[in-house]
Amino acid sequence: MADAQTAISQLNEAFGNAIVGVSDLHGTPVLRLGVKDLPVVAHYIHTHPGLRGALSLLWAVDHRPREARYELCYLFTLSECRDWLLLCTDLQGDDRLFHSITPHIHAAKWYEREIRDMFGLIPQGHPDLRRLVRHEHWPKGTHPLKKDFRWDTVLEQAQGEYAFRRIEGEGVFEVPVGPIHAGIIESGHFRFSVAGEPIMQLEVHHFWKHRGVEKLFEQLRLTDAVPLAERVSGDTTIGHSLAYCQAVETLLGIHVPPRAHYLRSLFLELERLHNHLGDVGAICNDTAYVLAHAHCGRMKERILQLNDQLAGSRFLRGVICVGGVSLNLTDHQVAQVTAELNAIETDFSELERILFANASLTDRLETTGVLNERAAWDHAAIGVVGRASGMDRDIRRDRPFAAYEELQPKIALYRYGDVRARMRVRMDEIHESARLIRDIRARMPQGPALAEPSGAPKPGEWALSAVEGWRGEILYMVMAGEQGQIHRCKVRDPSFVNWPAIQWAVLGNIIPDFPLINKSFNLSYAGNDL
Amino acid sequence: MFRILKKSLKTGVVTGQHPKADAPREPASPEAVQKTKPFTRSLAIREVDTGSCNACEMEMNALANPVYDVERFGVHIAASPRHADALVVTGPVTVNMTRALKDVYEQTPDPKIVIALGDCAINCGMFKGSYAVTGPVERHVPVDVRIPGCPPRPAEILKALAELREGKKP
Ligand code: SF4
Repeated sequence: MADAQTAISQLNEAFGNAIVGVSDLHGTPVLRLGVKDLPVVAHYIHTHPGLRGALSLLWAVDHRPREARYELCYLFTLSECRDWLLLCTDLQGDDRLFHSITPHIHAAKWYEREIRDMFGLIPQGHPDLRRLVRHEHWPKGTHPLKKDFRWDTVLEQAQGEYAFRRIEGEGVFEVPVGPIHAGIIESGHFRFSVAGEPIMQLEVHHFWKHRGVEKLFEQLRLTDAVPLAERVSGDTTIGHSLAYCQAVETLLGIHVPPRAHYLRSLFLELERLHNHLGDVGAICNDTAYVLAHAHCGRMKERILQLNDQLAGSRFLRGVICVGGVSLNLTDHQVAQVTAELNAIETDFSELERILFANASLTDRLETTGVLNERAAWDHAAIGVVGRASGMDRDIRRDRPFAAYEELQPKIALYRYGDVRARMRVRMDEIHESARLIRDIRARMPQGPALAEPSGAPKPGEWALSAVEGWRGEILYMVMAGEQGQIHRCKVRDPSFVNWPAIQWAVLGNIIPDFPLINKSFNLSYAGNDL
Repeated sequence: MFRILKKSLKTGVVTGQHPKADAPREPASPEAVQKTKPFTRSLAIREVDTGSCNACEMEMNALANPVYDVERFGVHIAASPRHADALVVTGPVTVNMTRALKDVYEQTPDPKIVIALGDCAINCGMFKGSYAVTGPVERHVPVDVRIPGCPPRPAEILKALAELREGKKP
């Protein structure tokens, strides 16, 4: 933590008076600031060459009924040392205004709009205060995450239209797409402005699938909410349940046994494998290269069937639980997994050679949907999308969880930020995941795979947790309430961060390439909308 | 070219290589079977996601892979509700998707059937009661077939579809 400490002393020097207090949360330094001072300090952390903090998460908590205050927390990842740094501020009593940091830190844009919708707190100076989560037909004054809003409220109907950003002029057309799409895709809306072929502007209008997940968490007990976490985004069952469990384990003081750590890594890599295989195929499919799609679909299916054999669920539902894993694979089963994966990897390598030899495929992928390094930084893009655009971030290496401290995964990194780069990241990660699983088998320790809780959290205690799911960094903030209840659970799927970035990546491309670009991002709608 | 052929030959036919599904938990009602009569040889499905966690979608997608290859039974996915004979709805119906679901139902020409796929679509699953959910699919449009599961396996979906279309067992 030496590096974050240097940052703290640096900030202390620059803003000594503004800092109300410094504390430590499970190894992450927390700076408490006044509401007014926060934007300046945040700006400094974001831009100062030695710090270059990327905004990783921004969330609010309603502390009622225990205390009459709202708390806002800003989590930064410092680029140099990859440490976390947390800024917190309070809004006391009836205060509803805070200062927006979006004018300086673009990545905060959706977070602040989300906070306004969910809590009714207003980010002053925010350039875009349209509703985000609440569609226009929600009645005024509905802020679901406020504690005085009942979780099972039946919403009234109001009238209203979302005001899309408009480009007007001769020959400029608007093309609305969605919310229901042509293929088997989740629901979301895209509004293109085009002049001739090229896209001049894309506006993503989502949150059609908002199910109230964060409010539902608050109705559950800490130990009972794993099934809900699994259903935040079904294709990331392991990623989300693991991130949730890690946070709860910190709160309950559970030391997960080593074997469980290894098994968790194994399951997480299996999830990465089947999704990446599916994505490589889907990208090819959108260039009309159906052959590759068929092969990839077949390989993906092999892994899903393997999952089903092991766990009785093709998505490994119910495997991760608080304290470890509920499925302690035998060594024989692990050997079976590696044997199957070796076969699939050979299979995939053969396909790769076919793909790379195909000039018409490469032609469609190269220079399509470029998210350049600067735009990726401004959006704080993460995961596969970030790593294809030169953002060298991977939680498995930066903040090792499960067994990654010992496994030391190699990180795939590309700079061009086009569809091809995103496909290459996935291809590299497929090989790396297969290698990791072989390594897991070689190193797997014996012993139990489940541990018991050793403590109970005090109301108001909270913990952060991060997992590198197959899409990217999944973050959970879990705060304990009275008697083992959840007071607040902030869920952040990487899709929430990367969706705004897609609006940049498509600029100048033609609409027929949009499905291809969208596939290469392959973001979750469910995980974004919550 | 040689490589591609070699790969295809080496792979062989994978269709049907999946564990068999148990009989559907909820057998198709005689009315539903009757309603499906006109579509026995070809069924165009429009998938509508009203708030699923996307695992149900993934299994629908899996139906199209070479292992399940649903097209061999004359089932295909339509790109517009106007071309559809059946709507497959996944997920609890969210507040924001309610209108879209009703619109899609209206735009699908008669005769049509509605299939609720997955526990969420049938009874809202874990999301029951939430302020953001207006109820299961049948609260908004009439449902003819229910395929339970969270998510139902592709083999189970195939089986349910086959049973629905009597005499066309996979
Ligand atoms: S039924 Fe299960 S898999 Fe399907 S959408 Fe609901 S939670 Fe997801």
